[in-house]
Amino acid sequence: MRMRRSLPAAAAIALIAAAAGPVAPAHAIDPGKGHPGFCKTAAGVTVVVDFQRLGGTTIVRCNPRRTRGTGLDALKGAGFQIAGVQRWGEGFICRIENRPSAVEELPVRGRDGYREACVDTPPGGAYWSYWHAGNNCAWQYSQWGVKNRDFVPGGFEGWSFSLNATAASNPRPRIAAVRPGTAGRPCVAREEPEPTTNDPNERQPGGRAPGGDAGNGGAGGTTEDPLDAARPPGRDGELPPPRRRTLTSPSPGADDPANNVAFDGGERARDVNELVKEQSGASDVAPWAAAGLAAALGLGAWLTARRRRRARDA
Amino acid sequence: MRRAALTTYFLPRDLHPAAWWAWTLGLAVAASRTTNPWLLLTILAVVCHVVVARRPDAPWAAAFRIYLWLGAVIVAFRVGFRFVFGGAEGQTILVRLPEIPLPAWAAGIRLFGAVSAESLLGGLYDGLRLATMVICLGAANALANPKRLLKALPPALYEVGTAVIVALSVFPQLAESVQRVARARRLRGGASGGRGRRRRVRVLRAVIVPVLEDALDRSLKLAASMDARGYGRSGAASPGARFVTGSLMITGLIGVCVGVYATLDGSTPRFLATPVLVAGLLVALAGFRLAGRRVRRSRYRPDRWRLPELVVAASGVGVAVVLFATSSVDPTNLNPSLTHLSWPLLSWPPLLGVLLGVLPAFLSPPPEHPYGAVPAAAEKVAA
Repeated sequence: MRMRRSLPAAAAIALIAAAAGPVAPAHAIDPGKGHPGFCKTAAGVTVVVDFQRLGGTTIVRCNPRRTRGTGLDALKGAGFQIAGVQRWGEGFICRIENRPSAVEELPVRGRDGYREACVDTPPGGAYWSYWHAGNNCAWQYSQWGVKNRDFVPGGFEGWSFSLNATAASNPRPRIAAVRPGTAGRPCVAREEPEPTTNDPNERQPGGRAPGGDAGNGGAGGTTEDPLDAARPPGRDGELPPPRRRTLTSPSPGADDPANNVAFDGGERARDVNELVKEQSGASDVAPWAAAGLAAALGLGAWLTARRRRRARDA
Repeated sequence: MRRAALTTYFLPRDLHPAAWWAWTLGLAVAASRTTNPWLLLTILAVVCHVVVARRPDAPWAAAFRIYLWLGAVIVAFRVGFRFVFGGAEGQTILVRLPEIPLPAWAAGIRLFGAVSAESLLGGLYDGLRLATMVICLGAANALANPKRLLKALPPALYEVGTAVIVALSVFPQLAESVQRVARARRLRGGASGGRGRRRRVRVLRAVIVPVLEDALDRSLKLAASMDARGYGRSGAASPGARFVTGSLMITGLIGVCVGVYATLDGSTPRFLATPVLVAGLLVALAGFRLAGRRVRRSRYRPDRWRLPELVVAASGVGVAVVLFATSSVDPTNLNPSLTHLSWPLLSWPPLLGVLLGVLPAFLSPPPEHPYGAVPAAAEKVAA
């Protein structure tokens, strides 16, 4: 690594690197991952992101992944751009698709002018609540962290922004957890056990040993077989476990798909990097200026030191 | 007339040490607010430039280079640890090292495994921030005369101040000793000798023993001279009163430290910030009051606080203020997101704010030359 370096060298490296590396073009949604809309078959998981009172069109995308994965894998694999808080990393998601952005003022009760800086755990009055559901099942508030549970294959992962809500009034995603064409079928998802300890590394207990994770979604796949294979425990950080909540005994069936809000695949959303740049007032020239100034100051310091040394030796 | 004022302003002299401390602490606070590598590099460049332009030809000024090395080591360690303890957060996997399985009781710790560019960059940014803060402190040590700082302390800080100054001057003094001993060895032609391991052992003995001896000698000398000047003398105070004063001051200063840390660090609980800071200040002030009542000191030729001192201190504090102001406006750029690998963004206000810090290189008088004669070439450049 080039850690041991003098300042001018560092500035020079920075300068060269800046010249060599153009910023890779990015989209709001990574179109290379997942596809818009619901999953067509039981292979993969449908991810619903509902901005609720933040405003903005609800996004529904499918992550066609056939192998097991965590809720985080589901979200990222569907093409969403997320940000975790600095304190916990991606174990606590504070922004999805740059919402709530750093410049957005959230009307959180008791905290006037709150803006999400993504540094520490967001307040209970303004955070992304995490939901899941099997196909044709009711949404359930996740008792597990996003990295501690596996998604339900063929099922749904929901993200709904909770603003000034309580544990009882957390808004569930306003898209029914029903894949088109499967309405009316019974809900067969397993009941997820509650965490039994306060250990943040505890992972959801699973039935199947690793290796038996073949997606069983054929063309007409209607069987729902939740593959909740257990993973080796304790891989991720030391995030506190989600607070346990009393579930209002989930109604067995899903919501009526007729009540779904309008949604899209997020294709029209603006590029997140571009948006962040615009919101923060960043300039294309400023990094160049910084590198140039650092180089100039370093050079100046070196020249001064050299002249001084010569004057002293003379 | 105006010309004369200008000449007086730039007359070579050592600035009040507190001015340099205010300047460096301002820059260190600014560095603590950001992980943006552009800003941190600019802060480093500014600090190096000012130190080179304005450091006196004194023993403690030579230690700055060692602080630079310390900074490099910090960055290397931070990045190295990302290799060792899991650097998989992020999608751009650079290298997959074989993961060492650990028993269940070590859950949450991961040894080696996949290393992603995002986590390495995270380590780099974080290490760069800490390194910048350390180098800022090094700059203060290089620019300000620690013994004159002790002289300028208010009499109430008498007891604590002595310990602080001794602690502060140990590192620069060690550095200077190393340089002196190495120079003496070179003059004696001591670099030659045996080969390989034996030679290294001999070099170690020839450098470390005199350095430690030198440092010890000087500490004793400093202690003796302070004792002769009445430092650390308790006077006529009763042991009970001394105990109360001492505990008040220590408690207050700990409170102030915790409060300052919590105020500067965005992720510490807020109840540790202002309440603890205020309570600590009150307790410490009570202690100072008590201590100050019984210590009487007169000063011989006290350091004066003049316009250049104001300029220097204001430029450092200004940098901190600008970064605080912009971090509430645009936190995005001060802490670049690493979710998507991209070049860190930068906007103008924080960059221009950091540049305020370079003013002392041009707007402060050059340091006094220890031997009276001013080397013309060097001073021309410096001014």
